[in-house]
Amino acid sequence: MSGVIRVHSKFIVNQLFRDYYASKNLDVISPSMMNKREFGFLSFDNVMIRHKSFLNKNELFSFLREFVPADAYYSCAYYENPQANMDAKGWLGADLIFDIDADHIPTPCGKTHDEWTCIGCGFSGKGITPEKCPVCGKAKFETKTWPCEVCLETAKKEATKLLDMLIQDFGLSDKEIQVFFSGHRGYHVHVESQAIRALDSVSRKEIVDYVSGLGFDVAFYGLYKGKSKKHFHSTFLNISGWRKRLVSGLLNFIFNAKAEDFKKLGIKANIGQSIFSNKDLILKTLSEKGELGLIKNVGVKTWKKIVEHIVKVQSAKIDTVVTTDIHRLIRLPGTLNSKTGLKKVGFPLSAMDDFDPFKHGIAFRKGALRVFVFSAPAFRIGSEVFGPYINQRVELPTAAAVFLVCKDRAKVVE
Amino acid sequence: MQTLTVKFTKYDLAKYPFLKETADYVRKLNFKIEDLTSPELSSILERAKERVEEAILYALVSRKLHNAEIEILSFPVAIMLTLATENSFIKKRYALAESKQTYNDMKLEPKEKILAIAQNFEWAIQKNDNDNIPYEFKLHFTDFIKNTTHLRSGKWKLVNRILYKGNVYLTRNEAARLLSEEVRRHIEKRLEAKDTPKFPPKIIELANKIKQLSIEKIGKAEMEGFPKKIVQAAFPPCIKNLYKAITSGRHLSHIGRFTLTSFLVNIGMPSENVIELFKNFSDYNERMTRYQVEHIAGERGSRTRYTTPKCDTLKTHGVCTNPDEICKKIRHPLAYYRRKSKSLPK
Ligand code: SF4
Ligand SMILES: [Zn+2]
Ligand SMILES: [Zn+2]
Repeated sequence: MSGVIRVHSKFIVNQLFRDYYASKNLDVISPSMMNKREFGFLSFDNVMIRHKSFLNKNELFSFLREFVPADAYYSCAYYENPQANMDAKGWLGADLIFDIDADHIPTPCGKTHDEWTCIGCGFSGKGITPEKCPVCGKAKFETKTWPCEVCLETAKKEATKLLDMLIQDFGLSDKEIQVFFSGHRGYHVHVESQAIRALDSVSRKEIVDYVSGLGFDVAFYGLYKGKSKKHFHSTFLNISGWRKRLVSGLLNFIFNAKAEDFKKLGIKANIGQSIFSNKDLILKTLSEKGELGLIKNVGVKTWKKIVEHIVKVQSAKIDTVVTTDIHRLIRLPGTLNSKTGLKKVGFPLSAMDDFDPFKHGIAFRKGALRVFVFSAPAFRIGSEVFGPYINQRVELPTAAAVFLVCKDRAKVVE
Repeated sequence: MQTLTVKFTKYDLAKYPFLKETADYVRKLNFKIEDLTSPELSSILERAKERVEEAILYALVSRKLHNAEIEILSFPVAIMLTLATENSFIKKRYALAESKQTYNDMKLEPKEKILAIAQNFEWAIQKNDNDNIPYEFKLHFTDFIKNTTHLRSGKWKLVNRILYKGNVYLTRNEAARLLSEEVRRHIEKRLEAKDTPKFPPKIIELANKIKQLSIEKIGKAEMEGFPKKIVQAAFPPCIKNLYKAITSGRHLSHIGRFTLTSFLVNIGMPSENVIELFKNFSDYNERMTRYQVEHIAGERGSRTRYTTPKCDTLKTHGVCTNPDEICKKIRHPLAYYRRKSKSLPK
């Protein structure tokens, strides 16, 4: 929760969180082998408490009730001594975690609702926060983001791509995979599997690269300039992951491509035209043989550009740091996210399409609060749309009011 | 998973002395470290020494199968000799040499034998029975990535492989290659053993001879993989940046100082010269600087030389600046230096 949140507002939010954790049918999910996990909590005073451990669900629940964290986390790792300091913990293994967050996915609307300001020099910009300030090179920013529906929908699409790879390519079963809405701007995918548990960080990086298409080399997919082999062999396209994904991505691209799509990829107009006029032939060879036929004027270089674009499209945009961190603390399912007052909530893989973060993530279903809104774009909670507001006093359902207060867009008034 | 269909012969055990079966065989013979120096066993000791020497000289270890017994027994003794050298270069070299030889042997073996060896290492490997995929084996991806982390060619990247329902598809040759990686890791692990027994004087004597040979043939600097003279042009971007800062008297963060100092002492710059560098600072204090540098160089305090932080760590601390193409292939600034100095014209 932002440090600037108004004292009274913080008090109210804290009380609401307290009531939430006091609830009799609290829906917090205790992780498997919980006594081997480290837990961490952020207090409403911004103090991080780490190296906690609990023997069972009851212990955890009574801690949540007492402490009322702004945010609650547990380790993807299993430890011999979860309470010990990092070097004495005795790492036993870790679940494989993927974080898909709008913070890392470019969307057209990101530029309208996300801003960052460099703490070093005050330079600011819109859209995705850069790794380093372009002016002073520092890497600390104050950000103002918005959990927007469009962005979340985009994140969900990325999650869908990821799940397809995990199941089809990596052969994981849906029993080993859990999907969650993070309570803010993205989705978490947790994989608990005996086979993966012991993998070190370097091995996990290899999985990350696979999923995000990093290190992809067209030469290993038959696209290279040989004496006779000028085209793209992709046999066995019906069974294997990236090959299949490439072919379907290519079919889709060629089928829909317009002059400007080629231009965007740096392909000359006359070459684009050649592809365009041979469209039917290309689509036919591709779908029947899985090959890119020999088209006059269109060489390996051009195909390479297109294929690399397809790889980008078909890859899943994940936060690469999270997956390779084998000690990572991740948000505890069922707890509240202090950035929104929404909860981290899971859903079955089959319910992906129907999952609605602004409905299923709601934690406060009763009552209303009067708030003064500084500024907020239009947003939806449940089936109701609110705003846009600017310097306005309004009474809102609790969930909507808390949402604005947590995003630091409003304060609670009498 | 398929069950073992082949039995290993005595020759197999001699060819692949790291197998569990070989270890069982040796255990049954029940001989003790003290016996080694007895004249009857001198041929074993002789062959063991030869193994390590071959590794140093040719990065391969021949196979002398006409006397399988000696061949089998000489392997654990060679491991012991290597351990006794307490030299990490020789340890790495020996593991590499045995594994390369194994690769050469294994790629000529029938499918079944490769499967049996793989299963010896508990690989989840099977014959491929899908006619549409022209590969001989399928291997669970976890076993695959565990053994490809050191292989830099794009061919070994998971994203460039056929991965289907959890399995990566391999040719016989590729399976042999990955297995040899497993062998290398296996031997390296055995050579990491901390609580080594007290070696008889004869063993120590041989180990010293081996060390001598390796210094003669390989050279001291190169045993650590560094050039003899310091090559500034081979510094990684992060170090170049820190070096520039220090020589122009600009302030360095704590981690920046530590990184630069540990880097320089590790590539062989004498402490004296490092201390000299710090003189450009306005707040230079000779006594403290000397203490810090010598401490990092292992010349005082714990007497261990501190190694430079990994790239990952430097990234978190913001010390990693403008990483270049080589940076993509390494994880440690010292590895960068090692690599780049080799590629520069001498
Ligand atoms: S990647 Fe490593 S070697 Fe390269 S600049 Fe960064 S820290 Fe230095
Ligand atoms: Zn700045
Ligand atoms: Zn958006």
